[in-house]
Amino acid sequence: MKLKETGVLTTADLKEMGRYPSEERMKKGPVAVAECVQDIPCNPCETSCPFKAIHVGENISNLPNVNVDVCNGCTTCVAACSGLAIFVLDKSYSDSVGKVSFPYEYGHSFKVNDVVKAADRSGKNVCDGKILKITNTQKADKTTIITLEVPIEWVDEVRSIYRDRQQQLVKEVLSEKLGDDVMVCRCEEITAGEIRAAIRQGATDITGVKLRTRAGMGLCQGRTCEALVNQIIRQELGNSPEEIGFSTPRTPQRPVTFGTLGGDLDE
Amino acid sequence: MKQCEMLVIGGGPAGLSAAIEAAEAGVKVIIVDANEKAGGQLFKQIHKFFGSSMHRAGIRGMNIGQELLERCEKLGVEIWLDSLAIGMYKGNIVAVDVKKSLTEHKLEKIQAKKVVIATGASENAVRFPGWTLPGVMGAGAAQTMVNFHRVLPGKKVLMIGSGNVGLIVSYQLMQAGAEIVGIVEAQPKINGYAVHASKLTREGIPIYTGYTIVEACGDERVNKAIIAKVNPDWSIEPGTEITLDIDTIAIGAGLKPLIGMSYMSNCHLMNDRFLGGWAPCHNYSMETTTKDVYVAGDASGVEEANTAIEEGKVCGIAIAQALGYLEEKKAEQMKKDAWGRLAGLREGAHGAERTAAKERQLLEYKKVMEG
Repeated sequence: MKLKETGVLTTADLKEMGRYPSEERMKKGPVAVAECVQDIPCNPCETSCPFKAIHVGENISNLPNVNVDVCNGCTTCVAACSGLAIFVLDKSYSDSVGKVSFPYEYGHSFKVNDVVKAADRSGKNVCDGKILKITNTQKADKTTIITLEVPIEWVDEVRSIYRDRQQQLVKEVLSEKLGDDVMVCRCEEITAGEIRAAIRQGATDITGVKLRTRAGMGLCQGRTCEALVNQIIRQELGNSPEEIGFSTPRTPQRPVTFGTLGGDLDE
Repeated sequence: MKQCEMLVIGGGPAGLSAAIEAAEAGVKVIIVDANEKAGGQLFKQIHKFFGSSMHRAGIRGMNIGQELLERCEKLGVEIWLDSLAIGMYKGNIVAVDVKKSLTEHKLEKIQAKKVVIATGASENAVRFPGWTLPGVMGAGAAQTMVNFHRVLPGKKVLMIGSGNVGLIVSYQLMQAGAEIVGIVEAQPKINGYAVHASKLTREGIPIYTGYTIVEACGDERVNKAIIAKVNPDWSIEPGTEITLDIDTIAIGAGLKPLIGMSYMSNCHLMNDRFLGGWAPCHNYSMETTTKDVYVAGDASGVEEANTAIEEGKVCGIAIAQALGYLEEKKAEQMKKDAWGRLAGLREGAHGAERTAAKERQLLEYKKVMEG
């Protein structure tokens, strides 16, 4: 399964895990498929199902199991799933076309009977689809459910509406910027080279670098650069987080005017 | 100097929940919050939360934020807005910079019997040539712009990092009309939940696992990004560079707890990379090694809003108990229930490391206190 590398689940992955409804079941009528294969602590699918067809159990990071004999494909769980990972499939419609219902949370101007380009799990346009239904319920809290009619052979693949992305990839040669020129502390304008020089002078921790370079002494008080300085020390010296330490927090935590600090004269 | 029973620093999910639990038992609570509206990150979390019905699963973060604010109001919790805690001193005295108007600030001191540090976390930066160009920002910053201030940071966004923050913010930028040019992840695998990644891949968003950002280019503003494959030793594989036409780079490289208040109140800190770095260790009441100082949410180790809410509840219950508003038996049961819900939220492969790290914090507390 390549899911962790690509972010794309496949029908074959789901079938292999025994988490996909059978052809026979889909031919009988609509049925939910939970394309949820990681142990996420979550169970709204189970609690939302009006027919108790989904089981997660007491340990909420169990995977949801759909009882396909009880599920009637009502789509309640499609909107309830916080991960937008449940779909309803139906191959009972006819021999040539089937239905796919999926959650859709983007602004759109689609209407019922519009013919749109349908996308598979990787966003590729695989076929056309006709919009049969656009459902918005109060309970679904702004998660729209779109039901598409697609050629029956694409029911297992279609999961959204295709979006045209015209991104051109160009090969280009890297500029010759040296790592030492890169800014690390943007408040005090200290570069990686200056940090490295401070380390060569003997700095071994955040405070040592700070005293030598002023990195972390600006407006943000090291909020942004501390982790970057930490990384450079680690790379240069291999010190542990305990040895590197952190920027000592002092009052005031963020800049305040002398007037504010001094307070009213009569106080 | 203002006196109160319980002072909460930070009105996010953890701080609000701590205040609600304590106020329900009768504790008088003040929350100071640096922003113009309390709720922390909840109002920019427009997605439905995970968890179970006892953790408000399936409800959008912004609606949870609204609910928490309404409960605080009903319970008479005093919330000071535009009020930044700038220091903490002996005797539980907190200095607060209160913004009265655009130009006028006033320094207030509050002394509390119990203090809850719920300051949250800050975003990690990533260093590459061009990272200081306008248009390069934290993923959290981009999320604040788009969901809170309703300003689109750019039209063509490159996301660095495939953790849940990177994936969710990418999705939300798309919902707001931006194009996500791609998501770059230096690790060979996607870091966040696959369901969040799949929401993007089915819209055609490429996720470049095993790639890193090499350079951000542009004069006035970033207009190009060069990414390339990384070798296992973190060197760039020559010839794999890809130039992307973009106008915004969002960096989702993790968060680190804000430890300023904890350090100044002398809490014992420990470093744990699974919790974002340095954080105060604490006991089962979320009390730190400094008596009367409690910690909750990301300030006690970076997790997520649901766990922050539960940790906040533990603080609120423990404080109500310590101040005599809750009888011991009832309080102990309530704390136990909250820890049970926390355990549920830390279940699964993604939670195992955090569970272990949280146990190390509890153990460290014991070690320090037993001296």
